[in-house]
Amino acid sequence: MLKADEFPVDTCQPSEYDSLLAMGTRSLDAIPGAIYLCDRDGWLVRFNSEAATLWGRTPVLGEQGDRFCGSYRLYTTSGMPLAVDECPMASTLSAGLCARNQEVLIERPDGSRFVALMSIRTLRDGHGHIQGAINCFQDVSAHHALAEELRRKSADLEDFFENSAVGLHIVSGEGVILRANKAELSLLGYSAEEYIGRHITEFHVDEPVIGDILNKLGSGDCLNSYPARLRAKDGSIKHVAITSNGRFEEGKFFNTRCFTIDVTRVYHAETERQESDDRLAATYEAATIGIAEAGEGGRLLRVNDALCNMLGRTREQLLAMTFLDYTHPDSVEQDAALYARQVAGELDHYVLRKRAVKPDGQALYLDVYSSSVRAPDGRFRYGVRVVQDVTLTREMENRIRGSERHMRNLLEALPAAVYTTDAEGRITFYNRAAVELSGRTPQLGDLWCVTWKLFNTDGTYLPHDQCPMAVALKENRPIRGVEAIAERPDGTRVPFAPYPTPLHDADGNLIGAINMLMDISERKQAQERQKTLIDELNHRVKNTLATVQSLAAQTARNAQDAREGYTRFEARLLALSRAHDLLTKQHWGLTPLSALAHDVLMPVLGQEPERILIAGDAIRVDTRVALNLTMTLNELAINALKYGAMSTETGTLSVRWSIQAQSSGALLTVDWREQNGPSVATPEREGLGSRLMKRCIERDLGGSFELDFAPEGVRCCFSFRVAEAKP
Amino acid sequence: MTAFSGISVLLVEDESAIAMLIEEMLEDLGCTVVDSVAQLAKALQVAKVLEVDLAILDVNLAGERVFPVAQVLRERHIPFLFSTGYGASGVPGEFADCPVLHKPFAQKDLQLQMAAALKR
Repeated sequence: MLKADEFPVDTCQPSEYDSLLAMGTRSLDAIPGAIYLCDRDGWLVRFNSEAATLWGRTPVLGEQGDRFCGSYRLYTTSGMPLAVDECPMASTLSAGLCARNQEVLIERPDGSRFVALMSIRTLRDGHGHIQGAINCFQDVSAHHALAEELRRKSADLEDFFENSAVGLHIVSGEGVILRANKAELSLLGYSAEEYIGRHITEFHVDEPVIGDILNKLGSGDCLNSYPARLRAKDGSIKHVAITSNGRFEEGKFFNTRCFTIDVTRVYHAETERQESDDRLAATYEAATIGIAEAGEGGRLLRVNDALCNMLGRTREQLLAMTFLDYTHPDSVEQDAALYARQVAGELDHYVLRKRAVKPDGQALYLDVYSSSVRAPDGRFRYGVRVVQDVTLTREMENRIRGSERHMRNLLEALPAAVYTTDAEGRITFYNRAAVELSGRTPQLGDLWCVTWKLFNTDGTYLPHDQCPMAVALKENRPIRGVEAIAERPDGTRVPFAPYPTPLHDADGNLIGAINMLMDISERKQAQERQKTLIDELNHRVKNTLATVQSLAAQTARNAQDAREGYTRFEARLLALSRAHDLLTKQHWGLTPLSALAHDVLMPVLGQEPERILIAGDAIRVDTRVALNLTMTLNELAINALKYGAMSTETGTLSVRWSIQAQSSGALLTVDWREQNGPSVATPEREGLGSRLMKRCIERDLGGSFELDFAPEGVRCCFSFRVAEAKP
Repeated sequence: MTAFSGISVLLVEDESAIAMLIEEMLEDLGCTVVDSVAQLAKALQVAKVLEVDLAILDVNLAGERVFPVAQVLRERHIPFLFSTGYGASGVPGEFADCPVLHKPFAQKDLQLQMAAALKR
């Protein structure tokens, strides 16, 4: 820089002004800088070429030429127009002072501008009178621009620091907060006074964290989004990410510049997302059902423990295969086809029961629920497959089905009519016996009962919806101890006892009922038979007693003495008793005549086969014939023993009978013949025995009776009609 | 002489031994046994034509019921009584008010029921 005030002052010498005037233009041009000289009125009197170059023009010298400055136009450095008589030269001349480093903006005729730094000195003569002034100026545009830029940059930095959306602070090497911007103060809610000048550790929640931060920065490390927690004025805790480094000057830790980014919301969102992820992961892993994620081709991307256990493979093994690899060949095609359609978007999801195979060959049955996760644009991302092992369930189902079949077979085989209904009374099953009992084939879905028509035991009509089964279902209780009568389509009737029993599921809900219809026809008949039998027995007992009464009365009346009378009565009573024994043996049904004759005669006459012949056609007779024959044969035997052939040891007896078929029934003829006994005489009067026999055969059996007391032996021939009853 | 002297009786009884007893009881009472039959067909035949004062009817005739005979007699206004080994239940409703002899019976029972039958 040219220093104009260092020109020597010598009053004895020509004045500075004069000397300068005396210097030729050439001399002035030698000065390395722009220079011009004005007289005391400001008229330019000298300038050098450097000045003309800067001005971009050649000024006019002397009065009426350029005054104060040779420039085309002047402006202040702030860009305001500057009148030429207010320029530094004018004010310096008028004030008579010196001006140093005055800056003005000079515009050239071509419009270009530059900042000129002017140093002006007034020039005085030996008496101190102002003769003029010299202005030494230079283009400091470059310097000025640099300074301006520096200034602007600094302002920008300040603005950046102060108005940044991110919290910023500067901390000294000792940890004291030197500066903090608005964003940082706003983040924490402190005023500048409350924050700046305090130690940074006061605002950190976690002492070890700030300790670590300062330590790292102090040793030259950078922090990049280092997580920390700051305490705000209102007590809340802000999660921040600190990005910072230390500033070192001459190897000494000077301060730190910290970016503090509020990540509280991010932190909370992240925490929530993490929790959500954790929950999902926990669910995924804790689920007792298998969950897998699979790619487009079925490759497994993620599997949970349950699936690993289910399939008997490790996670590593599964993640190296597709879900088709463990699928049984029988199910591969179906699963693959469905999955392909799902991936293609034709199916939203699908459910499939498929077979799978464990590495040890064990077969599995899996229920698969397959769905998709898609990108917002609908593109397939991955498939989610929820897998349940239903092997056991299926086994149970099969077992239940088997047991149901078994039960049905059992019910089918039962000799009793059995049918089942659902809870509404619709018939769901019936066995063959039910068809037989009802005389019809019921239709599945028929209501209440398999029968055609129902009647109460008193014969009144019983509507099906009031039948015992209907009552059992409607009142949800088993019915016992009732009877009803079923009428078949053919009109026949069957009395039966129903056993309707409601059926319940495991929760006790009514699901239907089972009914067994016991045909009680036989029981009813047996009851009838028993009643008849008792009546009949009573009748017989009473009749027998009446017979005994009669025998006693007759015998007493006709006996010669009491002893003889008693013997006779006893014999008749015993004969009657034996007849009863025989009839009882035959259940009071039909009795073989041969057995009857033997049983009646032998006890009276004894076992003497050489003397007694009993023979005849095989025939069975009813009880009435049997009783009358017993009476008759007994009377003949008693007589033979007392008076006839059997009263001696030589007499013989033959009892023969024969059957002659007739138009209806048959004629039984019995021939009683005694021989070789004592001579026989006809009794004087007809005895009781004769009368009894005659009445038995003639009156009771409607037959014919002939008794001949021939001298060579008694002969009795009688015959009567019997029903044809061959053995 | 008894109150029943000269009474003519028809006896229907299927067992001779019992018939003989009743016949003797009746004869002891001075009655005349006009006929004694054992079979239903015969009894029906006789009941339609025989003139008697009283009939004694055994309910069970070889398994057949005697009631058709009773109907004939009722139409002819001939008094009758039943003899039976069954209880009273052995007699159907339409003859429920008829005298019944329950076997076995004594002579005085016979007298009582005969009196009851004749009073009607």
